[in-house]
Amino acid sequence: MFVKYKPKRNLLETILHTEILQGMALTLRRLFSRPITRQYPDEEIPVALGFRGQHALVRDPETGGSLCVACMRCATVCPSRCIHIRYHEDDGKRVVDSYDIEALRCVYCGYCEEVCPVNALVLTEIFEYAAYSRQPFHFDRDGLLANWDRFCRERNISPQEYVNPFWRPRGLPENRLPAGKRLQVPEDWTMEGQVVGSRYREALPNDGTR
Amino acid sequence: MHVLVLLIQILVLFAVVMLHVAYATYFERKIIGHMQVRMGPMRVGWHGLLQPIADGIKSFFKEDVVPEQADRPIFLAAPVICLVAMLTSLAVLPFAPGWVLADINIGLIFILAMSSLSSYGVILAGWASNSKYTFLGGLRSMAQVISYEIAMGLSLVGVMMLSGTLNLSEIVQAQGTSFTGMYVFPQIIAFFVFCVAMLAETNRVPFDLPEAETELVSGYATEYSGMRYAMFFMAEYIGMMVMSAIGTICFLGGWNGPFTVPGVPFFWFVLKIYVFLFVFIWIRATLPRYRYDQLMELGWKLLIPLALANIALTGIVKAVIG
Repeated sequence: MFVKYKPKRNLLETILHTEILQGMALTLRRLFSRPITRQYPDEEIPVALGFRGQHALVRDPETGGSLCVACMRCATVCPSRCIHIRYHEDDGKRVVDSYDIEALRCVYCGYCEEVCPVNALVLTEIFEYAAYSRQPFHFDRDGLLANWDRFCRERNISPQEYVNPFWRPRGLPENRLPAGKRLQVPEDWTMEGQVVGSRYREALPNDGTR
Repeated sequence: MHVLVLLIQILVLFAVVMLHVAYATYFERKIIGHMQVRMGPMRVGWHGLLQPIADGIKSFFKEDVVPEQADRPIFLAAPVICLVAMLTSLAVLPFAPGWVLADINIGLIFILAMSSLSSYGVILAGWASNSKYTFLGGLRSMAQVISYEIAMGLSLVGVMMLSGTLNLSEIVQAQGTSFTGMYVFPQIIAFFVFCVAMLAETNRVPFDLPEAETELVSGYATEYSGMRYAMFFMAEYIGMMVMSAIGTICFLGGWNGPFTVPGVPFFWFVLKIYVFLFVFIWIRATLPRYRYDQLMELGWKLLIPLALANIALTGIVKAVIG
């Protein structure tokens, strides 16, 4: 399709600068519209569904510790290898010695919480955890459990009812999991559904108006 | 005694103008922000009202860096030249009947001379900084001022022919108190030329080539910092106000309005200046920058012939009618 960069104007329009006046009218209209600015620290920003923020280990309400069974799947799947787990076997049962996450290396992909068979790990919706040194970003097990407590406290979440959208559905055996565990993206998010680039022109009504 | 009174008047005018400069920056940021569906300054004071004060204090206490390779005396003097030239032209502006510091008979010429002089500051700053960006900015400013000074001077010739004087107070009086007496109606072409040349003279968008941030870092002001940088901007804003005042005086009937506001003789004058300033800001929020050759083309091929035609037309009509 041919893009007309310079639309034809008649002499009067050229002399009177109608295009400039159109632009001025637009900016004047915008002057009285509501700003879209969100005054961040004063205004609470709504957190989108599926937001992945600070790491936390879910606190087991019965034992008070973590739910982790040291299956090592999160540490294996992690693309940035920021999860370090040590365990020993006790009567054929694994006992977690240490569970560390280097948050500064994490890419927040959420694979760890997806693969976790017991829903022990969660990327919470908390994103305000800046610090002045690197040390506070090396979360150990107690730190991760404390993150969970902070998450429940700050977002008013009851630990019994919370379900993360990336978690494995409870009560289903692994071989009977539904196929798509990640949230289905809307149609126009898919590669085929997107209308950009050359597809944009094809999608236009073919009467040459644009 | 007379000198003391004059000194106090000067101080009051200076303080009022500086306050206006400070809050012109605030309103510029606010208006442009809202036109771009943002909010502008919001943090310092209620809705950012103390922002210009904070900016002023900040720039006052910042380090005044002088580049090693710069031509030191000229580098230090350039912003002062800018500011002084602009402040001097305030002296001849009549704010209300009799409210003028120096009621001289060559008022209009004086203002044109002073606005040309302030461009010396810009050019010298560009030269003395010894950096390519500032130099380019200075060169552009020189070319721009030469082109648009002519158009502006010629556009005001029509006003001079109609009023028969260069004294700004008398120009206002010559327009009378009625609405139709304003020179904007008989001199509509001159008013158009003046408005465009006014934007170019004050280095405002869409003619801000001397300081084009996107091409020349900050143009002639690149190497400046702290208070000296702020002085350039004070000069720019005072220049905007002076040019608005000239437009108000020569075309919009100065201090005369539909009715007199008791106790505030300068009410209409100031209101018209505010409208001009708003238009300045409004244009800045709307238009992109002209290309350099487009700028020259507009100045030499459109504005100067238009202004000359306007002079001829005014002369003919004046000769025929009266």
